[in-house]
Amino acid sequence: MSRKAYITLGDRITAATDLVSQSSWWGQIQTWVEVLLTRLGLRGQGLVVAIPYLWLLLFFLIPFAFVLKISLAEAVIARPPYTALIEWTEDAFIDIKLNIANYLFLLQDDLYWKAYLNSVKVALISTAVCLFIGYPMAYSMARANPAWRNVLLMLVILPFWTSFLLRVYAWIGILKNNGVINNILLAFGIIDEPIVMMQTNFAVYVGIVYSYLPFMILPLYANLERLDNTLLEAAADLGCRPIKAFFSITLPLSIPGIIAGSLLVFIPAVGEFVIPALLGGPDTLMIGRVLWDEFFANRDWPVASAVAIAILLLLIIPIMVFQRFQAKEAEAGTA
Amino acid sequence: MQKSLKTTLVAAAVGALLATSVSAEEEKVLNVYNWSDYIAEDTIANFEKETGIKVNYDVFDSNEVLEAKLLAGGSGYDIVVPSGSFMERQIQAGIFRKLDKDKLKNYGNLDKTILEGVSLHDPGNEHAIPYMWGTTGFGYNVKKVEEIMPGAPVDSWDLMFNPDVVAKFKDCGVTFLDAPTEALSNVLGYLGRDPNSNEKEDLAAFEEHMLKIRPYIKYFHSSQNINDLANGEICVAMGWSGDMLIARDRADEAEQGVEIAYTIPKEGAVIWFDMMAIPSDAPHPENAHKFLDYIMEPQVVADISNYVFYANANTAATEYVEGEVKEDPGIYPSDEVKAKLFPDLAEDPKFTRQLTRSWTRIKTGQ
Amino acid sequence: MAEAHEVDKRLDPWNDPHATPYIRIQNVTKKFGDFTAVNNVSLDIYKNELFCLLGGSGCGKSTLLRMLAGFETPTVGTIYIDDVDMGSIAPYDRPVNMMFQSYALFPHMTVENNIAFGLKQDKEPAAEITKRVADMLELVQLTPFAKRKPHQLSGGQRQRVALARALVKKPKVLLLDEPLGALDKKLREETQFELVNIQEETGVTFIVVTHDQSEAMTLSSRIGVMNEGQIVQTGTPTEIYEYPNSRFVADFIGSVNIFEGRIIEDDPDHVRIESDEAGCPLYIDHGVTASPGARVWVAVRPEKIQLSRDKPNGEDNCTIGTIEEIAYMGDLSIYRVELDTGKRVRVTMPNLVRGTSDRYTWDERIHLSWQASNAVVLMT
Repeated sequence: MSRKAYITLGDRITAATDLVSQSSWWGQIQTWVEVLLTRLGLRGQGLVVAIPYLWLLLFFLIPFAFVLKISLAEAVIARPPYTALIEWTEDAFIDIKLNIANYLFLLQDDLYWKAYLNSVKVALISTAVCLFIGYPMAYSMARANPAWRNVLLMLVILPFWTSFLLRVYAWIGILKNNGVINNILLAFGIIDEPIVMMQTNFAVYVGIVYSYLPFMILPLYANLERLDNTLLEAAADLGCRPIKAFFSITLPLSIPGIIAGSLLVFIPAVGEFVIPALLGGPDTLMIGRVLWDEFFANRDWPVASAVAIAILLLLIIPIMVFQRFQAKEAEAGTA
Repeated sequence: MQKSLKTTLVAAAVGALLATSVSAEEEKVLNVYNWSDYIAEDTIANFEKETGIKVNYDVFDSNEVLEAKLLAGGSGYDIVVPSGSFMERQIQAGIFRKLDKDKLKNYGNLDKTILEGVSLHDPGNEHAIPYMWGTTGFGYNVKKVEEIMPGAPVDSWDLMFNPDVVAKFKDCGVTFLDAPTEALSNVLGYLGRDPNSNEKEDLAAFEEHMLKIRPYIKYFHSSQNINDLANGEICVAMGWSGDMLIARDRADEAEQGVEIAYTIPKEGAVIWFDMMAIPSDAPHPENAHKFLDYIMEPQVVADISNYVFYANANTAATEYVEGEVKEDPGIYPSDEVKAKLFPDLAEDPKFTRQLTRSWTRIKTGQ
Repeated sequence: MAEAHEVDKRLDPWNDPHATPYIRIQNVTKKFGDFTAVNNVSLDIYKNELFCLLGGSGCGKSTLLRMLAGFETPTVGTIYIDDVDMGSIAPYDRPVNMMFQSYALFPHMTVENNIAFGLKQDKEPAAEITKRVADMLELVQLTPFAKRKPHQLSGGQRQRVALARALVKKPKVLLLDEPLGALDKKLREETQFELVNIQEETGVTFIVVTHDQSEAMTLSSRIGVMNEGQIVQTGTPTEIYEYPNSRFVADFIGSVNIFEGRIIEDDPDHVRIESDEAGCPLYIDHGVTASPGARVWVAVRPEKIQLSRDKPNGEDNCTIGTIEEIAYMGDLSIYRVELDTGKRVRVTMPNLVRGTSDRYTWDERIHLSWQASNAVVLMT
């Protein structure tokens, strides 16, 4: 019933665009796309619904399918460096070979598991630190004078205007033995010997927390800014002191922001490669590095793909948990 | 290998297409993919002027990046510059087109000894010409090393590989390249074993030895050592000759009293070659041959050496190389030293995997 | 001024010179930058009152309420509640509770927990909390909804949760900010009476902020009419309606016809006013403190005016015009009459008899008159 209405609307739009772009090349393309979409049963409402799916298909599912395909192949010295899954046999039959050895291989060597766990550990600690630093920042931004908020927001986003790599390099200059921190401490006589910070896990945490902090602050800020101030007044009115009001009102209501921010930090941090490579010590074992080794050092694209798929699957779990949480919240109507 | 009729037909059709495209006049374009900072300032412009071919010049900074592009196929490049051991495997993967030596009138200028060394990577020198070459030795901070250990063995791998010696430099900073094959060759050579062994036993010896010196290694990284060495952040670094010489120059420029020297250890070290080759799917193979021939002109390649401080593989060019470069034993080692150098040959995939795993164990303890 | 109001003076505390006010607002001023939201307000409110602060938007009524709650601090002046100066007392320590216009229910808590929230802050024993919450739920008839979250309730139910949450702590004063504003008209009328019942049942002093004059009339023991940060009149609904002290109040509460005029005779028991607008001499049976010749206004409510085809006896308070428009409202009809002076007057008359054919009709010439006691002289 409503579908019909949409189709009419779609027709009207088409008619309008036809008038505008008659006989132009753009009109040609439009007509062509339209015919194609109509054939596929996608018009009006259907088209609107299809856009996110097309996006997902184009930028997630198709690449994912490629990687999945490679992960089921065998490594060979050839171009491309893996076997085909589907082959035409002599009598024109299709021969499909699925090779799960790559996945079994991941289970044989505890390197992968340890690297993954270590990555998760690093990501968890970084996320927690980001939360502890980011929450008060987001909170004070959301509570700041509205005129100031945009300036503060701008300051949080500002680092993105410089290359990520440059910013990580800058940390080398700050943390190294004759870097900014050590030189200042030495100059003031606080220390006699430089403190070794580079090539340590500490440097990795500094790098990750620094790089991903904005991803924690922004969703938290968006959440806290929307928080209805009268709720806090109501709490105060009912005899609740500000600190307690924070824990019983502000904090619980900002959980969606906390989860969103944490996921935005946690997920990329798990697969982080550049920061540990530049700031970390040789013993920082992370899954990103293992993946790199598989791909570039071993030239084993199938095993590398298997590692990638495994990480993806392990990362999807927290996302799904979050989805469920959000769905529950949406059902509860407070999200 | 069994091939279906279909594949054969397709191959035939593709072959026919290629044949027609080759016979047709090639457009005046050439796509070059070279290491960054690895050519003289005017080389490309001069080539364009001389031939009228428009060059699209693109740079990379790691063999791995280049290899990934080549293995994926369809890179569109006409000239690429992989290092020898990488090229060796890439040849096996069928990535390169055989050179048409009739079109390379300057081929005779190339250094026969080096061609012989390169033929270990590319049997018969069929696929590539050597562009520049260098060694993998170590750079060190002259004053600090002398201060910590007067009379330190700065001409020997002992400085890095002897646990008792390297232990002294721990606090000063000892770093390795994050390049397992080169570390393997150098350590095996130091241990008196075959630097290019693919034997499990040798790998085990390598790992055992590395674990002895592991506690004294600050990090494994392939580019950070340049700056860190130059500003005194580290003391001893395994490194590529060119990089260590850059570190030396930077230290000089900075005038902070840091003095860097590069050693090709007396026990021998890895010699590596950067090769110019034409991918089999290169769109402009004719122009690529013209470019290779141009690069082999003595004056042209000498100019490049003078600019990038790397030795070329062109005998005829040596007379045009400036003394400063030619007489630097770090760039042009003596024949005596040269005789002790060994190439870093490609390992078989199984051994590569074991080496990578062993390397991870060495680095992380896992 | 109004010396001769004929009001039934019961023993209300505000008429008892010995009664102690429960809430004393003394010379309170609140400025936000250059803007004066509340301007030198003094007001006494007595125990058990249901006091309405009535005014248009931006008149300062909400700011005054927020100062009572402690969310705003007076720029100047003092507020006493039960003889305690509130100046240095934080909102969470005040013996007042507020019901917010938006209700401000905690969305992540059940109805039960919303109501229990205030009691938990006071560290009341669990059993006591359970009991009082249950009592409250019963009072507002929400027992079956105890486990629901606010968004699962209707607007009226939410309003009752907000009320219960504010009342459960047995505050000395309950502040209500537009308590019925978010409800639809029918629900609002029902809830008005419920609110009054609850106030009587609990005995808590209510201070209600509203912009709705009929709501104020229905609910209040007394009304404070605010305009531009000041309280312009305080009084019972009847006083406010029948004896407004200014054109603003007269106009704000209900409809009114105002004739501009000049005092020509001023006696203690009556005044006589000449008005070009009215088209007749005006006689009012109460005295004013103004000298003859002063410019004044006479207010007459539409329902106080009689229409007649025949000219009534006497000259005073009796004028003539033409019916311009008639609006039939069912229970009453509204007539708009253009006086011969050009002034338009509004008159309402109850429709006492069904189906009369003898109604006044459009363009009919008509006489208007009112009793001397039914008009008020306004000085401002």
